[in-house]
Amino acid sequence: MAGWRKRVGFWTSIGVMLLGCSAGAAPPPTADAAADVRQFDDQFRPLLARYCVGCHRGDEPRGDLRLDNLAPDFADADVRGRWSAVVERLRAGEMPPPEKPRPQASEVEALTDWLAARVAAADASARAAQGRVVLRRLNRVEYENTLRDLLGIEVQLKDQLPADGSADGFDNAGAAHHTSSFLLEKYLEAADAALNMAIANRPHAPPVIAKRYSMKDVHPVRSTTESVYRFLDDGEVVCFCSSEWHNVWVSGFYPADAGTYRFRIWASGFQSAGRPVTFRVTETGSRLTGTSGLVGYFDAPPGDPTVFEVVRHMEPRTTISMLPYGLAGANTVKQVGAEAWVGPGLAIRSVEVEGPLHDSWPPESHRRLFGDLKQETFGIENARDRVEVVSGQPLADAERILRAFTRRAFRRTVTDDDIAPFMAVVRAGLEAGDRFEPAMRAALKGVLISPEFLFLRERPGKLDDFALACRLSYFLWSTMPDEELFTLAGQQTLGRPEVLRQQVERMLAHPGAAAFTQNFVGQWLGLREIDATEPSHLLYPEFDHLLKVSMIREAELFFDEVLRRDLSLASFVDCDFTMLNGRLARHYGIPGVDGWEFQKAPLPPDSHRGGVLTMAGVLKVTANGTTTSPVLRGAWVLDRILGTPAPPPPDDVEAIDPDIRGGTTIREQLDKHRSVESCGVCHRKIDPPGFALESFDCIGGWRENYRVTGNGETVIVDGRRMPYLKGKTVDASGVLADGERFENIDQFKQLLLRDKPQLARALTAKLIAYATGQAPQATDREALEAIVAKIGTKDYGLRSLIHEIVQSEFFRNK
Amino acid sequence: MTNPFPARVPRRTFLRAAGVALALPLLDALAPRRARAASAGGVPRRMVCINTPLGVYPPHFFPGTAGRDYELSPYLEVLKDFRDDFTVISGLSHPDVGPSHDSNQSFLTAAPHPERRAGFKNSISLDQFAAEHIFGQTRFATLPLTCEGLSLSWTRSGAPVPADSWPSNVFARLFLDGRPDEVRAQARRLADGKSILDMIRGQAERLEPSLGAADREKLDEYFTSVRELEQRLAQADAWSKKPRPRVDRTPPVNVQNSADLIGKTRLWFDLIHLALQTDSTRLITLQLLGTSSVPPIPGVSQGHHDLSHHGQDPAKIGQLRILELEKMKSLRDFLAQLSATREDGESLLDRTMVFFSSNLGDASKHSAKNMPVLLAGGGFKHGQHLAFDENDHPPLCNLFVSMLQRMGIESDTFGSSTGTLRGLEAHPGRGSS
Repeated sequence: MAGWRKRVGFWTSIGVMLLGCSAGAAPPPTADAAADVRQFDDQFRPLLARYCVGCHRGDEPRGDLRLDNLAPDFADADVRGRWSAVVERLRAGEMPPPEKPRPQASEVEALTDWLAARVAAADASARAAQGRVVLRRLNRVEYENTLRDLLGIEVQLKDQLPADGSADGFDNAGAAHHTSSFLLEKYLEAADAALNMAIANRPHAPPVIAKRYSMKDVHPVRSTTESVYRFLDDGEVVCFCSSEWHNVWVSGFYPADAGTYRFRIWASGFQSAGRPVTFRVTETGSRLTGTSGLVGYFDAPPGDPTVFEVVRHMEPRTTISMLPYGLAGANTVKQVGAEAWVGPGLAIRSVEVEGPLHDSWPPESHRRLFGDLKQETFGIENARDRVEVVSGQPLADAERILRAFTRRAFRRTVTDDDIAPFMAVVRAGLEAGDRFEPAMRAALKGVLISPEFLFLRERPGKLDDFALACRLSYFLWSTMPDEELFTLAGQQTLGRPEVLRQQVERMLAHPGAAAFTQNFVGQWLGLREIDATEPSHLLYPEFDHLLKVSMIREAELFFDEVLRRDLSLASFVDCDFTMLNGRLARHYGIPGVDGWEFQKAPLPPDSHRGGVLTMAGVLKVTANGTTTSPVLRGAWVLDRILGTPAPPPPDDVEAIDPDIRGGTTIREQLDKHRSVESCGVCHRKIDPPGFALESFDCIGGWRENYRVTGNGETVIVDGRRMPYLKGKTVDASGVLADGERFENIDQFKQLLLRDKPQLARALTAKLIAYATGQAPQATDREALEAIVAKIGTKDYGLRSLIHEIVQSEFFRNK
Repeated sequence: MTNPFPARVPRRTFLRAAGVALALPLLDALAPRRARAASAGGVPRRMVCINTPLGVYPPHFFPGTAGRDYELSPYLEVLKDFRDDFTVISGLSHPDVGPSHDSNQSFLTAAPHPERRAGFKNSISLDQFAAEHIFGQTRFATLPLTCEGLSLSWTRSGAPVPADSWPSNVFARLFLDGRPDEVRAQARRLADGKSILDMIRGQAERLEPSLGAADREKLDEYFTSVRELEQRLAQADAWSKKPRPRVDRTPPVNVQNSADLIGKTRLWFDLIHLALQTDSTRLITLQLLGTSSVPPIPGVSQGHHDLSHHGQDPAKIGQLRILELEKMKSLRDFLAQLSATREDGESLLDRTMVFFSSNLGDASKHSAKNMPVLLAGGGFKHGQHLAFDENDHPPLCNLFVSMLQRMGIESDTFGSSTGTLRGLEAHPGRGSS
């Protein structure tokens, strides 16, 4: 374990920029670059030439690090990064490799101190001039949320925008964002779509539908030839099968207008032996990736129908559909026929729909922009009653509207200079003969594509209160600040520590904080990748959609619970409870939890669960659909939990070819691999966590044996023969790089918990990366250690950590 | 529904292709000529780059023998009617692109180490590079398409060029003029766009001075994008005054089953054929589908991604073979469409380079080496298996340089190239009139 506990292991890991700054007795850096070059050439270049350049030279240098022509030019950030890497490797004693001749320790120290001092000085001056963080553009999630809150509309725009690049594991890092003309074109289209939604061009609200639909008349109940539905006398329809193609659509409801609709589903469990029947509600026309497309799972108790109410934004020409969970397949039911079937079913009496729901007309979004300005009819071909906003004093109204709009869009106070360009657009439009509304739309679109809207402007040094308000709201809500934050920023009181603390508490209690959990946890734990592979149906016949979404919810709800109660972040490694619903409890073999609803459940001592490492979601995203790889899982643990990511594999190494025929296990294959010394150096650190996790299969189920398809014993579950066979026994033991042995995952977790400061360091770095758009670098070592020390006195509480980060210079300065 | 996967080249493919040609009496004579006068050598040259992101099972794809007398592999057997119209190449890959699905991002760019994620910056893709040289000759400079997910096309700054995922939308952009109110709205958007961008550009000086170098680089990228979009809008404006080519085809109906990778592929191939034939664009990229869901193919009961991780299981490899054979058949029918279409007395295939490959050489272990490469058409001396040593081979970009030069673009380098690809020569009698 010492290998991980050593701080240097952590520092070699943070990004590419590795700086050492424990300058110690190093001579002060001279301001004279020419003198530096002379000293380097006289004193240090011969040393490098003798011990390092042999491997690190030419077009294909070892480790991708070329030293034969690396100049001591510390002003260049790229060159500086390379020297930092040299310092770290030398200080860690990793280079030169053990079998090669090494310089004297004093020679190494002279070189590393000299380099580190210059790197630190150059870095400090770059910081002073530019700040720590690179200019951030709103990513597509933030863009959609911001337009939603700016205009007051429900709108889906992010899928029309290209995916954002990531750095340090998060897609809100400015350094990884690039702008193209294509992106700008998409922004123009998105702005059009959003303004069309916000501005009402109809004279009246779209007609409200209020209807009750009987399930007798819907697809596929009416059209199917399979006997899987029973029709009861009182109009109820009982669905007996859970086959996807018998997903029951509310096909009579297919609205022409987007809007918010209220659904009331009357349903009950039927022949269910007194137990509830779980069912799924989905939105038609969208794919069930992650949790998207899912309206929800519900538990319908037996007896009189229960009403399940959902209020949801619907796109035009979409509807909802319902499917009972965990019942028989259609082919089984139809052999008996629905009339004679005695198994459980879901009885649906009816679905009532009401909407689109409006408080007023024109809607709030329209009035927010245009206030009470009059509308007049300007009909066009397909909408003769189309209305437009008009103005008797267009320039004065335009200025008033743009001033209010840009203040919120630019998220700060605005001056005449700020709105002048947009006024020019209005003026040019009016002069060219445009009516008021089209001229205004052009100007509003201009605001929405302006860099002041798209980028989070932060100036070097201490952030002003408005920039601070933005940091806070994009950190905890993934959207623009609300009026309270704007007000505090306007009063210049937001920056006071006690005000910041109150605001963090308020924001975490707000529903908007769900965005923090989703976006941070989704990326930190990799849950966004949940659909990257579909588990093999032969090896994992028990995998289903409910299990998948339950996996995601478990991790999110657990994070929320730790955050809410300020529990120690050691809980992420081991914990005596987790958040379970019936499906997940069955997956984990934990009795006493039923139905869809999640509850906080204590874990039995022998459950092997507790903490994120042994959550099914994490175990699924770190495997593919067929095999687990201790290398990938081990590298994941080093990166996400320990904050000591492994270096990338050398270019000339091929991955192991997985084999599920049963003749060999992944460990046997890896053992050969690790016996090669050059591989063993890294794999002694990477593989052990992965070995510990070998007790969990591709979907996070506990296993004593591998599931295989070629050679193995028959497996019977609940009287049914499984499509897979029982393969070789799992060996989850291992030896850490420091020689500590563990027999299984439980012991491994305890070894991880020996070094809580390291766990805290790792998570703090991730949170800072997410909160500010840039991970801490080696120059930030002391600032980071200060946070780790502070939360150490608070038992490493997660909520305390959020507060410490927000109060820190990382967050308060650019 | 009729069998969507006919075993032989379906007759209707030819009929359809011929039907379109008949419906376009003016095409050959009129539409492309204006563009052609401006293009190098007078002959319009085209490039279609296709990536199938989950690899192609290597033992079934690569021939066992090299040279002109090579023996067709099981997958290439599907293409046997076009044996003289393609070259199969083994051993190639991008240097410095490591084993991972992330190699997708470098497929047409060769940018190093996408798999490391940290610090990765993409570079310009082959099609966008070519577009810089032949900008303005066609209504659309490039047409990046995808069955789902990532685009193959990237800008110089390393930003993705969004790819269209819906054939019906692309068809509308290429061929439909729209209702009068839509045309007016579009004209309005163009005019607004131009005035807005002009106004934004004027702000550059006001915003930039206070910034540090790294921030300025980000804003420079933004303002460069503004200028590029202005140019594109100006082009779009000019083209909007010229009538769109008429095609006697009903708009395609998008494939609703998201797992139907073959159906989606065939729909795109049909549309690509139409786009090339009408000279609407000369540069197309197409990302095929690598779905986790089970595709509707008889004999296939597992998702494509799952099958690609076959773990040497013969049953899985068997299903993978069924699936990949269907993919090869769709490619064969696409080549047949191009081959059957004439332009200036030549086949469209001879003027269109079809580059078909995968960012993964062996998907079972995520290897990015020894990519399966097939180059069809474009007027090369085909009919051979160019075999390179996967541990000592020229960069794949050498092939890209050969392709660029065949496009008439005088460029000696692209990405990690060291020259043109040895062993690949232009056919003196084809595509050069």
